[in-house]
Amino acid sequence: MSRLSRPLAEARQRRANREGFLFLLPAGLIILIFGLWPLVFTVGMSLFRWRVVPGRFVGVSHYLRLFGDPQSLLWIAGAFIAGVLSWVVVLPRGRRVFRLILVLAAVFCVVMGWAIASNTGDEDFWASVRVTVWYALGTVPAQLAAGLSVALLLGRLRKARQSFRVVFLLPYIVPAFSAAAIFARLFSLRPESFANQILAALGQAPQQWLGEAKGLFTLLFSWGTGSATSDLASFGQAWAAGPSLALVSVMIFNLWVFTGYYALIFAHGLAQIPRDLMDAASVDGAGPWSRFRYVTLPLLTPTTAFLSLLGLIGTFQSFAHIYVLRTAAAQGTSDPVSVVIFNTFFQRQDFGAAAAQAVVLLGIVLTLTVLQRRFQDRRVHDES
Amino acid sequence: MKVRLAVLFAALGILAFLALLPLLYMVSTALKTFGETITRISPNPLSLEFWPRIPQWVNFAAAWSYGEGLAHSFFVSVVVASVTVLGVLATTIPAAYAFAKIPFRGREFFFGVFLTTLMVPETVSTLANFMTITRLGWINSLQGLTVPFFASSFFIFFLRQYFRQIPETILEAAQIDGATTFQVTLRIAVPAARAPIFTVAFLAFTGSWNSLMWPLMATNTLDWRPLAVGLTKFVTEAGPQAHLSMAASTMALAPIVLIYIIAQKQITDSVTRSGIVG
Repeated sequence: MSRLSRPLAEARQRRANREGFLFLLPAGLIILIFGLWPLVFTVGMSLFRWRVVPGRFVGVSHYLRLFGDPQSLLWIAGAFIAGVLSWVVVLPRGRRVFRLILVLAAVFCVVMGWAIASNTGDEDFWASVRVTVWYALGTVPAQLAAGLSVALLLGRLRKARQSFRVVFLLPYIVPAFSAAAIFARLFSLRPESFANQILAALGQAPQQWLGEAKGLFTLLFSWGTGSATSDLASFGQAWAAGPSLALVSVMIFNLWVFTGYYALIFAHGLAQIPRDLMDAASVDGAGPWSRFRYVTLPLLTPTTAFLSLLGLIGTFQSFAHIYVLRTAAAQGTSDPVSVVIFNTFFQRQDFGAAAAQAVVLLGIVLTLTVLQRRFQDRRVHDES
Repeated sequence: MKVRLAVLFAALGILAFLALLPLLYMVSTALKTFGETITRISPNPLSLEFWPRIPQWVNFAAAWSYGEGLAHSFFVSVVVASVTVLGVLATTIPAAYAFAKIPFRGREFFFGVFLTTLMVPETVSTLANFMTITRLGWINSLQGLTVPFFASSFFIFFLRQYFRQIPETILEAAQIDGATTFQVTLRIAVPAARAPIFTVAFLAFTGSWNSLMWPLMATNTLDWRPLAVGLTKFVTEAGPQAHLSMAASTMALAPIVLIYIIAQKQITDSVTRSGIVG
């Protein structure tokens, strides 16, 4: 560049600007209209009474209805402050306890705010957030563990590896609505369904599966069935009941879909680990378990981080997988946030309220993303 | 060593069996009579009871012509997915090339803006996009089902990685020979990135074929009702007639599985690598 004269360099830059602009234009327009504008528009829509056609400006009243007693908002604000403080406050060594207290305070505030909002605000919405959290807890760790196990097995294979990869990825490739139709059948409440046939073979009574609204822990240990007096107690009861059997069936479906995908990505991560490192560990006398714990697992951290973030955001996004598997009998106990928002918008046609719910969902997803990044950064840092 | 290998194969074999089991169940149910779906049942594919006595191929014809046009929805999906692929390639290739190779002003800024859209949950953008296409009069139309998906930050990000690897000297040589940037993209960059471009096309096709929430909102008549909506409605309507709903499911997943089997090496490789992009 330095050999070029200045006007020539400037002409070049102008040309690059013009061409860059032209090349970006088609994609940019689409992304502007269908990717960025929705953010602005959704926030705007949430501030209006809006049933199919826009009505009058109602300010934050949709949010107030969503959160119920404004106390819940105070608790959530408290959680936010405690969270930010635990992040930014620089502490001298030996004062880490203070940070721990802040984190615990933030968690407590979230629980209080959520409990109050559940009982005084939009019950269906907050129940769907609980469903989504159960869904994430029940699927993401299981998929990570199962995916990694399969990947470790695949890595030992010399022959026929590609054939196995093709089979394992198949559930992920198959269209979700088709596969969900199969699982609707496998876990149907009818006595001849696949799941009930398995139970019958084990000498157990048939279950309602996708049509069962009762919680797993209620069915197994009769938890969460007492009567509750306070906001916090009834919130605790709802959690103690566990995910409904309908939701557990959906989790099994999810595990079937994603294990192979996770396995392939883990297998790719495993293949990147230098062989010498493994050999060096062996020479130093590390057994298979220590090699796994102290070499493989730390070096896989980026892959694990990527997959857990993907899984977490995926659970808040998932729609088709669950929508097809809904039954009236499950009474909404398997509806995650996306389904409830869809119903508010499309069945109840309350566009303003749906937009407010969507904004809250966006807030939750962004918070989780930031937290997950932060957590992973620290883990990577600690391991190195 | 032999024993360990046998154990390994056995373990992987069982896992592969579990991955295939629901699909085997689908095919076997699709070939049963209505009576057999209730009486001739076994959860074990190795048992004869799992399979129909006589395969009822006629079920596929019955599902295909059942009610109001599953066949029609099938063709709608083919058209919608193909148009989406063309649109995606037309917008993402130049954008990815610009981000990779054209040093225009504000490149980093625009790239950051594009990436932000990756964080927005589909549910959130769907509501506003529904309002947008309503205003444009695109409900029940091909544009309404395809245009919103013509550009994806993920695909741009994915292709950019590959375009960046093309050596600068080759591009400069072509430009000295008088080729325009457009020609360079089309003649050099695109052939060099054939494999990832195929991946984008495949992912765009399956993404369009599989999407359910958007077409549920963007269509309310049969005219442009894609298979995802058609099948979901069909499964509800067919109710206990499992042999028909499984036959319909089989036909709905057949095209994707067919492409998958033909291009399996390419797809497994690229899906594996697409994970690292994020």
